[in-house]
Formats: sequence, structure tokens, C-alpha cells
Amino acid sequence: MNAVEVLGLRRHFPSSSRGGRGTPRTALDGIDLTVGIGEVHALLGPNGAGKTTLCKILATVLVPDAGTARVLGHDVVTELAAVRPLIGCVFGGDRGLYGRLSARRNLLYWGALYGVPGRELRGRAAGLLERFGLTGHADERVETFSRGMKQRLHLARGLMHDPRVLLLDEPTTGMDPVSARDFRTLIGELRGEGRSVLLTTHDMAEAETVCDRATLIDGGRILHTATPRQLGALLSRHERIEATGVPARLADALRARPDVTSVHDGADGTTTLIEVTDREALAPVLRLLIDAGVTELATARPGLEEVYLRLIGDRGMEVVR
Amino acid sequence: MNAFRAGLGLQAALLRRSPGDLHILATVPLYTLILLAMTDAPHRPGLAPDAIIAPTLMALWSTALFTAGDLIDRDRYNGTLEPTVAAPAGLAQVVAGRISAVTATGLLAFAEAWAVGRCFGVHLTVRHPLPLVLGILATSLTTACTAAVIAALLVLTRGGRPYQNSLSFPLYLLSGIVVPIGELPHWLHPVSRLVYLSWSADLLRSAFRAGPPRDLPVQLLALGLLAAAGLACAGVLLRRVLARVRVLGTLGHA
Repeated sequence: MNAVEVLGLRRHFPSSSRGGRGTPRTALDGIDLTVGIGEVHALLGPNGAGKTTLCKILATVLVPDAGTARVLGHDVVTELAAVRPLIGCVFGGDRGLYGRLSARRNLLYWGALYGVPGRELRGRAAGLLERFGLTGHADERVETFSRGMKQRLHLARGLMHDPRVLLLDEPTTGMDPVSARDFRTLIGELRGEGRSVLLTTHDMAEAETVCDRATLIDGGRILHTATPRQLGALLSRHERIEATGVPARLADALRARPDVTSVHDGADGTTTLIEVTDREALAPVLRLLIDAGVTELATARPGLEEVYLRLIGDRGMEVVR
Repeated sequence: MNAFRAGLGLQAALLRRSPGDLHILATVPLYTLILLAMTDAPHRPGLAPDAIIAPTLMALWSTALFTAGDLIDRDRYNGTLEPTVAAPAGLAQVVAGRISAVTATGLLAFAEAWAVGRCFGVHLTVRHPLPLVLGILATSLTTACTAAVIAALLVLTRGGRPYQNSLSFPLYLLSGIVVPIGELPHWLHPVSRLVYLSWSADLLRSAFRAGPPRDLPVQLLALGLLAAAGLACAGVLLRRVLARVRVLGTLGHA
């Protein structure tokens, strides 16, 4: 049994134009996805890709048009009572909390809704406030919190009932780098506790660091599911060298070599990316570079961000729906 | 029961932190004064209970209409409806708890109106405590059930504020809490009797009148039936509304 099993899931939304006469928007177009027990799985995609729609269906607040979705074997449409206690949803953002109430009061309320016994509520709330660094602000109104603090409170709320599956919809949006790093540590702890996590994010570094597998989704369709490293290998089956200060003549000479597949400038304009056919080709190319006085060198495979940009494309600010 | 208690506690905490939601209570002394002046209550003691009960029922209805009626829609706007629906607790129980807290707070209007009356020399004597206690309980229950119907309807009709506004003063007149039903056109009487406030007003007034209270069982039965109808209607509406917004995907729309 998997923590999450999605099969042929479809969901469209009526057109938001006047009278709904326009073309319906397809949010999910027959997707299949599994998240294993204890797995941390990232869902990566641009705005409007269908990530949040999938989370909402799994959280039982949205009904799919077709297909099935199961959480720990329970159908999210027909077995609501069984599914809901198993999942913790973190939709995040500025909304979703009672701003006029304190952080502690919010947690007590949400814990009660999940049936946490009264005698345990206060202890659990205090523990989570401590875990998320909010103890000093526990009795302050949430409306005075920064976005990052609200985000941490959302996470604490999602854990109040000790769920086995966590759905985190862009959980680090608005967090400062230190909090985001702490969040990654937390995800590691949650995995250690045997919980399964489905995480939607735009943060490639986050996905690369904390996830066992990542799924790239766009236009309601899944492009690829693999480990972050495997996804990197999709783009480059070859090793790659990043070098700074490569003379133009040397770059041309490298291009002419049969064991070099490509030589091009990096995104920052100062580095040169050299891809070679196999691991054996690394040593001679590196030697050539060092002999030419190039000493800032690194070998690597493409990061998840590059995979994302290559597979989904660079659309600038455009939202494709 | 946990969900009911959680809703009750949440709403009590929200009301403590948002006294503006109880602005209606601030209007009670003014309405009491106006009605006392209109009825010349110090010199016509028979009308004094009417002048005290009317602003009480007006305040109860207004809190039901504007505060309790709004709470699901306001949760949707705040983004708290989605996580509430995603929780195992039944939304109906949570809403019932929250509406109960609002209704209980609305009862403060009775004490307010009574106190204002005393300040202006109007002394009410409770001649029949049982109808008074039963009247308050039955009125509170029916108010809560009616508020639940409004709360569910407002989720369906987004931007329902104009409807809410139109349900205040016309209803006070229709229900006979400001002008006796006998003064209304005859053909309106049956309609008035469909408004629970008309039965509440009769029941509460009878507690202050000399002579044995008349029609107590009928009044209680009418209130009970209207409460049951409201509860059933709210239950069906809430289920349908939830099913509809889960299908349409509008649960989280602000």
C-alpha cells in the first residue's frame, strides 16, 4: 500500500468568463502518481500547472471529474471519514488562520477539530509552538505575524493531530533563508518519523535537498517522475564541467574534440559549461583546462532548476492555464 | 460534541477579540429609549414589557442575521473554511457551536433593555417565570436554527449583504414585535405567524401580564416546529452547499 495513489485523475474548471461560456480550463488531465510510505515527494511546476488542485483533491475539499485518488488505501471521494484524520493539510499563505486569535488559540481549535483529546491539546500545541520557534509569540494575535511566522504556524497546525500523510502546498513561501533551512531539517525529521510528505514547491534547491522523488507537472499533465538526480540525468547523460575564465580559443578547441558534446556559456555569463561524452573523457579535458591556466573548475550534473527550465520552458511571468 | 464545543469556544474567543461584531448590542439602549418614549411606558405600564421585549428580539434577530449568518461566508473569505471542511469534525456541529455562542451573547440585549427601562422608571414584574424561562430558551433555540439557514444560504448567494439588510426592519414589522400583528392587514397575519419572532414576542410578553398565560403550549409548539424546520432546512442546505462547492471548486473563493 502506498501513502498516496492517484490514477487517471482529471479535473477541469468551468470558464471564469461571464456566464461560463468560454472553454473549460483543464487543471488535471489524467495524472498518475504514487507517494510511498515514508517518502518525501516534490511536485514541481509553474503557476497553474495543477499542483494545488491535486492537493485539494487529496485533502477532500475538491471532487475530481474522473479517476481515483487514495490515501493509505482510502478513496478521497467515498471514504471521507477515513481519509481526513490521516492527512495534515498545509495550504499556506496569509489566509487560513484566525488572525484575531493567538497562535496558541488557533492550534487548540484546529486540534479539537481533529479530535485531539482535551487533556493533550495544550501540551501538543506548546510542543509544536516550541518546535517552530513560536513560543515567544504564542499568545500574540496571528494578524500581527510576518508571512514567515504565519507559514510556520500553518505547518504547526498541519501537525496538531499527528497525521501520517502531509500535504504541503508551497510551505516555505515567505520564509527567510534560515527558516527555510530549518524547514528542510523538519522535513527530514518527519521522514524519520515515518510520515509521507507530498510537497508542492517552486524552490528547486528545496526539492533537491529534501525530496526522495520529484514529479514535474505542467498543464495538468505529468512530465516526469524520478529522483532529483535521475531527473538531472535526463538532460545530460554525460558529465559536465563548469569552468570560469575559459579563453575563447580553448573553447573552440574543445568544441572540435569528439569526446566533448557541447560547450556553451552559463547563465551568469562568466562560466562555461562543457559536457563530455563519458567519465573517461573528463580527465583529458580537465588537463587541457588546467594547462591553459583555468583553475576555477567543478564537475557536476544539471541541477533540478535547469531540468525544470529545460522541460517546462522559460515562460517569464506568463501563467498558462 | 467536541466539534460543537470547539465551535462554541472559537466563536466566544472571536467575539471577545472583535467586539465590533456585537455592535448591535450598542444599539439596544437607543431602541429601548425610542420604544419607551413611543409607548409612553412610565404612564402606560401595560405596554412597558412590549417596549423592553421588542429591542431584545430585534437585537437577537440582528445578531443571528449579521453575525451568525455571516460566519461561514466570512470563513470562506478568510480561507479558514477549506481547512475546517478538510477536518474530520462535521461542519454542521462546528457551525452549531459557533451560532450558539453568538445567540447566547445576543441575549445580553435583554439585560440591557431591562436596565435601560429601570433607569427611566420602568419596573417590570415577572408574573409568570416559567413562560419567561421557556420563552428565552425556545427563542434562543429557534434563533440559532434560523441563523444556520441564513449562514448556509449566504454561502450559496455570494454577496448576500443586500438580502440581509432587507431582512431586518420589514421582519420586525411583520413579526409584530414593533407594531402588534392585529394592526397589520388581515391577509398578512398567516405570514406573520410563519416568523418565529411573533410567537416569541407573545410568549415573552405573557410572562409580564396579569392573569394566567394563554396559549403557552401552542406558542411553545409553534416555536419548536419552526426550530425543527429551521434545523432540518439548515442541515439539508449545508450538505448541498458543501457538495456543490466541492464540485465547483469554489470552497476557497474569497
